[in-house]
Parts: sequence; C-alpha cells; structure tokens
Amino acid sequence: MSPVRSRAVLCLRARSATCIAWLTLTVLLAAPATPVVAQVRVARVDIESVVGPPAGARLAGDALSVRTKAVASLLRCPVCQGLSVWDSPAAMAVNMKNEVQALLAEGYTDRQVLDYFEHSYGEFVRLVPRATGIGVLVWSLPVVMLVGGVLIVSRMLVRRPSVVPAGADVTTDPALATYLTAVRELAYGQEDPVPSSAPPPAARQR
Amino acid sequence: MNPRVLTIAAAVAAPLLVVLTVSLGRNPHEIQTPMVGRSAPAFSLPDVDTGEELTLASLRGRPVVVNFWATWCFPCLEEHKTLVAGARALGDEVQFVGVVYDDTQRAVRDFFSERGQAYPSLLDEDGQVAIAYGVYGVPETFFVSPEGVIAAKYTGMLTPERLIDGVRQAVGRNAP
Repeated sequence: MSPVRSRAVLCLRARSATCIAWLTLTVLLAAPATPVVAQVRVARVDIESVVGPPAGARLAGDALSVRTKAVASLLRCPVCQGLSVWDSPAAMAVNMKNEVQALLAEGYTDRQVLDYFEHSYGEFVRLVPRATGIGVLVWSLPVVMLVGGVLIVSRMLVRRPSVVPAGADVTTDPALATYLTAVRELAYGQEDPVPSSAPPPAARQR
Repeated sequence: MNPRVLTIAAAVAAPLLVVLTVSLGRNPHEIQTPMVGRSAPAFSLPDVDTGEELTLASLRGRPVVVNFWATWCFPCLEEHKTLVAGARALGDEVQFVGVVYDDTQRAVRDFFSERGQAYPSLLDEDGQVAIAYGVYGVPETFFVSPEGVIAAKYTGMLTPERLIDGVRQAVGRNAP
C-alpha cells in the first residue's frame, strides 16, 4: 500500500477533520488538469494568413465537442455522396473533423472555421450555402416558384368556367349531344344504345 | 398553343439549355478548385527520411511540384516513375516535393527502398496540409510558380506530358 493510501485509511478510521482536509487537498492536487486542447497538435499550416487570428474563446471539454459536431455537420465530406464531415467515416472526413476540433480549441469562431474550409475547397464544401451572391437564388428561388405556382393555379381556378353548367343535363343539352354520342359509340363499339332526345350530331359524319 | 404558355416554357427552358450546353464542354472527371491562381499555402512538414522540417517558403525562387500521394494508392505507384524521371531530368531547375497523405513513415521508407527516390517526401500525418490545399484524394499534384502562386493542379495519375505541361504553366505564371 502506498504511503498516501495508508494515510488515507488512517484518516478515515480516525475521522479527524484536519486529516480529512489534508486528504482532500492531496487528492485535488494529484488530479490531472483538464487539457485545453484534446490532442497535442503541431500547426503545420499558417491558418491566420487565411482567416486572421482567432476571434473567439478557446474551447475545451463538452463545449468543444458540441461545437465540433455543429460545425462539422455544416461541412460536406468531399469524397462522399451527400454526407457531412461529421457523419462520414472516410479518412478525409475524419481529418477534417479533427481539424475543425483543433481550430475551435484554438479559439477560431464557427465562421472562421467554415471560411477556412471554403477557402480550400470552394463553396461546394458548405452543406448550407451562403445567402449572398448567387447563393441567394438557392434560398429565394423555391419561395418565388411556390408563390408563382400558387398565383397561377388560383387565377386559373377563378377564371376557368365550369365544364358543365350547374343544373344542365348532359343527356338533353344539344351542345353536348355530339360528344356524348361519340363517346358512347367509341365506348360500346356500336350505335348509340340509349336513344337521345337531342338532335343528330354533326360529328358523326366523319 | 397559348403564346403566354410558350413564353413561360421558353423562359424556363432557356437557362436549363444554357447550363446543359456549358456542362457538355466540361471534363466530368475534373474537380474544380479555387486554389489555382492563389498563393500556395505555406507549410512546414518533417522529411520522411531525415525528420528535418522542410518549409515551402525555403523553396521560393524555383517552380515547385507538390505531389500528394500514399503508398496504398495504386495510381501513385505508376506515377512515381514519372515523378522520379521528371525530377532527374529537370534537375535543379524545378523542385519536387512529395506530401505523404494518410500513411506511415515505415511504409514510405519501405516504398522508397524498393522503388527509389529522387526528391524529398514529407509526412502529413493528420492531413493539415492536404486540407489547406483542398485535396480530395491521392494522387493530386500542384504546380507552384517561383513566386509561390499555384499555377495549375492536376487530379489523378500524372503522365510525362501532364507533368511537363504543369511545369510549363508554373514557369510562365506571374505573381498575383
């Protein structure tokens, strides 16, 4: 048994306040400090020259994990079909995810991280395109098309007259008799089995 | 047909036709990169053989061929012959640098002892440099001008013709 451990056992048996305070202090001092950065990382590239110095707070622990997931989910895995960097198990995506984590840990903001990847890969790498420049079309065009479609359909519904006026009887309406007879003939393959009171249709003279 | 319907149909079809016509002239295997015409990202990586750090800045003044590769990549094996031959033929006029992506030092050393080596290869263990250059996969080759500007990029296995064409573009590229 180590000296610290045997001393701890004696403390607990004696229930001495001073001894327990000493024990607590010893345990706290012996506990490893929480690392600021998840992994030891040597910077190989000058990222500041692209997006400037870190503009946010350094992140660690759970906050870092949450932000890493949020930002990596906004980046497209370049070698996958429709997967985000966060969701992809590809080696390239794993490297990109680690890079996102390292940059956030160093204090780069979400926007700086996304800008950095866009600088290298182009806007393609953003799963959610910017709402500026030609990217405005991606956001506005569906709304414009939807509104336009609703307007066109509503105007057509308002203007279009009813095919059969309310109260009209298709068997007695002389304007429809021509078509009715033609449909019956085509459907039954014979002369009109149902006598119509309408005048003989001109359409039957082909 | 209703002239209004025709006009709307033409307005919708015309842009689609333009997009399709433009796309027909493109190489579907070519991956667009925003890096061409920009300053090559500065980097510092350890040499696979010596462990010494090599920086891109130290190579300024000569065209540089930066080749991203790996020992597990089949096209890279074939490409290696072209790059070694190119490095030997062009001598000091052009600097060749290999950046080993997603690989181990031991595998690279074994590769060189079997297939020969004519220029330094640097180990990019966590892919930081590959990300900075917007690399999708290996092999990819960047041709950097003496002023440090990316003059051309080629995705896929280099042939002697493509290598010389890339170097030609790097030599002819002016500062941005």
